[in-house]
Amino acid sequence: MLADRRSRVARRISRSLAVASVLTAIAAHGPAHAAEPILQTEESDIVTLPPGGPHRVLVEDGVYRHSKDGRVYVVDLDTGRLLGMVQAAYNANMVADPAGKAFYVAETTWERGNRGKRHDILAAYDPRTLEQVADIDLPGRALITPKKPDMAIGADGHYVYVYDSSPTNAVHVYDTGLKSVVRTVDVPGCGLIFPWGNAGFSSICGDGSLANVQMDAKGAPTLTRTPPFFVPDRDPVFEHSPEVAASGHVWFISYSGLIYETTLGAQSSVAKPWSIQEAAGLKAASDTRAPFEVTWRPGGWQLAALRARDSHLFVLMHKGTFWTHKDAGSELWELDLKTHRLVRRIPLAARSMMVGVTQDAQSRIMLTDEAGDLMVLDGADGKPVRKIGALGDALIFTAAPGE
Amino acid sequence: MPVSFLDTLGEAVTRRLAARSSRRGVLGRVGAAIAVAPAFPLLPVRRADAAPATPAPTLTDFERRAQSTDPTKCNYWRHCAIDGVLCGCCGGGIHTCPPGTEPSPVSWIGTCRNPDDGRSYVIAYRDCCGRNICAAPKSCGCNTADREMPIYRPQASNDIIWCFGTASTAYHCSTAAIIGQAG
Repeated sequence: MLADRRSRVARRISRSLAVASVLTAIAAHGPAHAAEPILQTEESDIVTLPPGGPHRVLVEDGVYRHSKDGRVYVVDLDTGRLLGMVQAAYNANMVADPAGKAFYVAETTWERGNRGKRHDILAAYDPRTLEQVADIDLPGRALITPKKPDMAIGADGHYVYVYDSSPTNAVHVYDTGLKSVVRTVDVPGCGLIFPWGNAGFSSICGDGSLANVQMDAKGAPTLTRTPPFFVPDRDPVFEHSPEVAASGHVWFISYSGLIYETTLGAQSSVAKPWSIQEAAGLKAASDTRAPFEVTWRPGGWQLAALRARDSHLFVLMHKGTFWTHKDAGSELWELDLKTHRLVRRIPLAARSMMVGVTQDAQSRIMLTDEAGDLMVLDGADGKPVRKIGALGDALIFTAAPGE
Repeated sequence: MPVSFLDTLGEAVTRRLAARSSRRGVLGRVGAAIAVAPAFPLLPVRRADAAPATPAPTLTDFERRAQSTDPTKCNYWRHCAIDGVLCGCCGGGIHTCPPGTEPSPVSWIGTCRNPDDGRSYVIAYRDCCGRNICAAPKSCGCNTADREMPIYRPQASNDIIWCFGTASTAYHCSTAAIIGQAG
């Protein structure tokens, strides 16, 4: 009897609870259900980037701790967003078409990861879809911790040049229309590529001279030499000396801080050098003849950037003896290349190995630090705009539209 | 016993000195000499002290900071112009490749000063090749540049991957072997 009564009570309680929970559910969800549509099913799709502006830049990450996994990032400096990336394996190089039609990456892989047949590759990418529009084997390429002038592109984007050093110093010429390497030009005793015009380039030679190569309509090269204009054992010029490819103007910067304005061509001409330090009201820095003098000196990797529209040069500077040319900059010096005057000294929050600059009226300066951040400064006054945190591992150089 | 000539002379000098000087006079003169002496710096050590406090340096920034005890650090003296990961952090040593890798038969050349003996030595920075790059702690990744040159002077450039003539051109780490005394 007692058991029966207990079970009746339990059933009543459970019925009451069930009714209560239904009422609660209706109260909680009923009205919202009617207002919100059921979430729609989705298709997977792929971004096609809109046409880029002057602040959409390419940044190469050498990923030094895993250099087989290098990459090139497409970055929007206005939003600080990473828009996409392409592979750039093992000491890769990259250049952008001057009109923004494509960009090119020269890289190296092995069929079995770290071994097997080696492939030196040139890939061309559509800048909006980041899809490959060409992907060819190169005859070879120099394996060097990437220097920007290991690769170059002519003023009209027709030829891409890739530097090689084995078995001899040479430049492979890639025809972007034919999508193939059309010629290899020997530059004995010389290295790097500084392009001029649509079909010419110059290389720096071990004795301080220039080798100038001009190709005719059929691509046949003629090589001329410019006499030595610096003494490498005394004061070599930096590989990362900035250039305006369209006009063939290079400002070669020496380890001590001399600037040699050079107009490249079949007969390259070099102006009398001037001193960065003297432009800043200091004594010119010593060269190897007095290597222990501690003073302000240029240094870093991509240590200088040029803003062509107003001929302003940005150079990373640090204090040290001679032979500190790879030290990161603690200040960024802005110089007027026309008046040979210092415009301003910009102290940096973090030492930087790299500086880049966009070419537009509201230009942006790009710096990095040991953590792989990309710092964006206002090109007008050097004030910070934003930090793109941990963009990569080892940001080594940049390419901005129209540079 | 006859008095010697020397004794007679000594007595005469002493008596004359005693007759002409007082103890106070002697003390006064000695005191004056002590007081005035610092105004006449005569010894070379004083003149050196008066020279500029920081003499002109005769070492590079690297050489001033170099040490000779820990070869797994970038400031170890032989690493004055090394670019890469130290093989000592990767299973190898200062002139030894980690197992399974292969030393490059050619290399770039540096000249480094040993702080222990003050002598300069020629260093061959041979790469160890055949594995992907050694991902050691960042403190093992070095990029120093005493007497280092751009790649258009390749024999003194440490940015070139020196894995020429090895089975694989993949770079793994860097060593710093002494190959002679410089100069």
